[in-house]
Amino acid sequence: MSILAGHRARPNGWYGMVVLIAAEGALFGTFIGTYVYLSFHAPAWPPDGIAAPSATAPLVLSLVLVASTVPMALAVRAGRRDGVAAAIGWVALAFVVQAVYLGFQIHLYVDDLARFKPQTDAYGSIYFALLGLHHVHVAAGLLLDLWLFLRLPRGFTPYRRTALSAIALYWYFVAVAGLAVTATILSATW
Amino acid sequence: MTAIQPPAPAAQERIERLDRIWAERPGFTGWLTTTDHKRIGLMYVAASLVFFALGGAEALIMRTQLAGPGRHVVGPSTYDQLLTMHGITMIFLFVIPLSIGGFGNYLVPLMIGSRDMAFPRMNALSFWLFLGSGILLYASLLLHEAPNAGWFNYVPLASRRFDPGPNIDFYTLALILNGVSSTAAAANFLVTIAKLRAPGMSLNRIPLFCFAILATSFSLVFALPALTADLVFLELDRKLGFHFFDAARGGDPLLWQDLFWIFGHPEVYIIVLPAFGIATSIIPTFTRRKMAAFPLVALAELLVAFIGFGVWVHHMFATGLPQTTLIFFAAASLIIVIPSGIQIFAWCMTLVDGTPEFKTPLLFIVGFIIFFVFGGLSGITLAAVPFDQQVTDTYYVVAHFHYVIWGAAVFPVLGGLYYWFPKVTGRMYHERLGQATFWLIFAGTNITFFPMHISGMLGMPRRVWTYPARMGWGPENLASTIGAFILASGLVLLAANLVVSRFRGAPASADPFGGGTLEWSTSSPPPAYNFAVIPVVTSAYPCWDADDRAADARRLAAGQLVLEHGHETTTTTPVDGHLDDVLAMPAESIWPVTLAAVCTVGLALVISSHYVTALVSVAVAAAVLAAWHAVEPRSAA
Amino acid sequence: MSLGRAGGRRWTRVAVLGLLLVASGCNSNQSVTNPATTPASDIATLWWAMFAGAMVIFALVLGLLVLAYVRRGRPGSGGDDRGPYRVILGGGLAAPIVVLSILFIFVIRVMPAVSAPPPGSTKLTVDVIGHQWFWEVRYPGTAAVTANEIHIPARTPVNLVARTADVIHSFWVPRLNRKIDMIPGRTNRIELDAPQTGVYPGQCSEFCGLEHADMGLEVVVQTPAAFRAWLADQARPARAPTTPQELQGRQVFLTASCADCHTIRGTPAVGRAGPDLTHVGSRQTIAALTLPNTPSSLFDWITNPQLYKPGARMPGFASLPASTRRALVAYLESLT
Repeated sequence: MSILAGHRARPNGWYGMVVLIAAEGALFGTFIGTYVYLSFHAPAWPPDGIAAPSATAPLVLSLVLVASTVPMALAVRAGRRDGVAAAIGWVALAFVVQAVYLGFQIHLYVDDLARFKPQTDAYGSIYFALLGLHHVHVAAGLLLDLWLFLRLPRGFTPYRRTALSAIALYWYFVAVAGLAVTATILSATW
Repeated sequence: MTAIQPPAPAAQERIERLDRIWAERPGFTGWLTTTDHKRIGLMYVAASLVFFALGGAEALIMRTQLAGPGRHVVGPSTYDQLLTMHGITMIFLFVIPLSIGGFGNYLVPLMIGSRDMAFPRMNALSFWLFLGSGILLYASLLLHEAPNAGWFNYVPLASRRFDPGPNIDFYTLALILNGVSSTAAAANFLVTIAKLRAPGMSLNRIPLFCFAILATSFSLVFALPALTADLVFLELDRKLGFHFFDAARGGDPLLWQDLFWIFGHPEVYIIVLPAFGIATSIIPTFTRRKMAAFPLVALAELLVAFIGFGVWVHHMFATGLPQTTLIFFAAASLIIVIPSGIQIFAWCMTLVDGTPEFKTPLLFIVGFIIFFVFGGLSGITLAAVPFDQQVTDTYYVVAHFHYVIWGAAVFPVLGGLYYWFPKVTGRMYHERLGQATFWLIFAGTNITFFPMHISGMLGMPRRVWTYPARMGWGPENLASTIGAFILASGLVLLAANLVVSRFRGAPASADPFGGGTLEWSTSSPPPAYNFAVIPVVTSAYPCWDADDRAADARRLAAGQLVLEHGHETTTTTPVDGHLDDVLAMPAESIWPVTLAAVCTVGLALVISSHYVTALVSVAVAAAVLAAWHAVEPRSAA
Repeated sequence: MSLGRAGGRRWTRVAVLGLLLVASGCNSNQSVTNPATTPASDIATLWWAMFAGAMVIFALVLGLLVLAYVRRGRPGSGGDDRGPYRVILGGGLAAPIVVLSILFIFVIRVMPAVSAPPPGSTKLTVDVIGHQWFWEVRYPGTAAVTANEIHIPARTPVNLVARTADVIHSFWVPRLNRKIDMIPGRTNRIELDAPQTGVYPGQCSEFCGLEHADMGLEVVVQTPAAFRAWLADQARPARAPTTPQELQGRQVFLTASCADCHTIRGTPAVGRAGPDLTHVGSRQTIAALTLPNTPSSLFDWITNPQLYKPGARMPGFASLPASTRRALVAYLESLT
């Protein structure tokens, strides 16, 4: 019983993802707000002895993550015309870029930990917590991509089409959040 | 009072098909795997009432300890755990699960003419996560390691240095779990109310109870992250030595307070908004009149939720913040009075202009109005900064918030238990006994909480396990204790009324009170699929439109919008309510309860510092989620 | 701007206060409605005005409910919302805007009187540091250190500086002024300016752990001359023992671990965990107002502090022979 012709509203799963993004967005907002709050209270930010973050690597990586939203959008487009192979291909491309992104970020994170620690003072605490929050969201996104690799080869159903568009929406959010986090972290250099 | 017409033979066959398609497993496993919003709602009701009894016991022990000066019924260590657990239990394990998870879940699909919530499996998950959070918290009490720094858990008292045991770790992790449960529930309500309404139910025809749940859900989505962040920061400080709240290393204890109250103030509106919704359901029914100024009431409910995000510093007036800050938040705290006032007068004018019948449910709503006005007035005095700076953290505030949280938020819930009892059980409660329980609880509430205004103004601070005789606070405290036991006896009587009526009450029809919303158009109790035919509505009180309901019966016989060939419901466009799609609904699933169990165990591992094993549980949780989403709801051809 | 000390109609206040006192028992020495200073009086007046307004509003709403009951038999307008809209917008929108704006203006006018005193506007500074569960009291510019009992001169603006050594506490003496929190990393200040001599009790007002309930304090307002004498006395090092029992007591103090936690200036005892005991004999109470300062109470306290203040950080000394403890008490009581 197909009533696709009657569709004017987006599927429930898409709306559900919108709500999740609102909640997670608010969570990023509180972490960023905390960063700003703590910076107002500090005599020096970063505190003496801790170098301000360098801008190049974080900026480049954030733009790379934004770029990875393009194959995700193309995958959704392919899904609308039932192009299973094309959709899987685009998701795979996005996945590789996202995974490489996360790998680089973890490398930078570990490097930072060698220079200063979250246990050093509040700057370290919020620095590593804010970055960590974003990396956890990227990792969760990779798991969502893996689910798509498991299910899409069996063909598209309305459920899987909705899942693909919801997961793509998730990645748009994570990319934008990444820009916000990078901007916050780099604000210490202003 | 509309009676349901017996269905025509063609219709009867369709109903039997629906019965078969929507049947769930019988017995205990059926409850574990159910995705039926009504059964999930009932589980929420049962669990939250158990927690209510526990929270009430905690209160009675505290009141016994405080009945006179210098008593030693319990010592300070136990008392501090009791006072903390009382607050946490009543807020996170009783009133919110009961009003949103219990009433919200049971009623919203019925009121909007749908067969279930938008995400039935996630609905079950919300319940099991809530239960898991309650189990974690009460496990801590059994170990005599319950949270003990007050329900708002200020640092540094709650830091590792001053509270080194696992008490506070139970607090943070159980509340994170509880928050995930509530966020999922909020998402479910938002999408359900946006998409699953009956054809014809445009935005301006949504029942006011659903508007209240809508406002509550928006608040939950945006308020909970502040609490989650606070709890994560505290755990990082406690377990891994971070310094978010450590003044010596660039942190700030006030950061905890700010984040907590950015959540905490919207939280109190989250607590009271569903009660507004219940009140606006009961009043029209028992006054035989539509709610006066319906659009204004709906708007006021949304405004209260919205403005509620801008007042949080009024919990921090004594902390030494700059004068400009205090002035801004005092102004905002006064402005929020206006949408509340609008609603109060709307309720009163509906009572005045209608023909009220003061049955038990309406009595509780009258009590609610009285308590809400009184508690609101004491709240206004607290917005007056200098006065607040005298009485904050005293029993005056305890009086204020019990008038609004107990009196205003719970009285409608008690009235609602009576009001929808016939719908849920198919039997009538005992009316005269019901009225007696109202008077007992009303009197008990006043005797308990009114004297606290006085003891607070006489200088009695909050959270004191005892007080000296020379202060002269004995009489007020004794009165409060007596009142508490009167209140408790009223509640016991209420429970007895409902339990006995469940088995011996007179059979109830589909619509014993003449209600206007859709839940009264189906049988008592409703079948698993709620409505044999999806109703089409043309007003905000569809059950008062006899012609529309007759048209429903004709469509049932003709097989239109019956959807008896699958496990299905309809969706509509979000604003205008035009029929949009037929949706396949998922059936029972073992994965929600499994995922909740894995999460609860994982958090218990973190509390006991088994971090590696906790990481393993994350992997297991991911696997469970994958298995869950491998089962796709299908329309059976 | 102050609203004056005797604002409001006296007879209403007396009547209502009388009612409250009858209902409440007699001790109003920690009461918000028994102000002894201008700021406290401004707040009390603000309260009574709000109380009166609240009673009027409450009566109005009750009136509506009574009206609904009385008219319950009569058919209504049949759903005509015009009448209700007038009441709803009048009572729920217009009236609150007016009433709350007036309230807001009064609030803003009272706020300066209860806020931190501008620098340079006070004549004396007292440093109060909250501890779990006592108050450390210092007089900057002198050597005086005491605990739980704060002396100030009458008719003198005093800058009370509120800090904490551990968790958040809150300094509150209702008859003198509003409360002010003591927060790690922050220094908060309020003004104490009492016209009348007397003793004004207060209590910690922010939950601070096990013995939050037993963290009382007293502000003793003296004539300026008596205060100067008291302060000079408190600044001196401890009196030397004059009797053999007192001498034995001092010896016990220095050897039985008391000095680990307590300071007695002029002796080798420099412990900082507990209150300064240099002039403990001069105080009215011990253990932050938990017990009166008498030899028998002090004896009981030293023997078993947990009996009077469960959770207090002080160990008990029941293991010492009773005569030893009596000597200790004699020494401490001699430290006036």
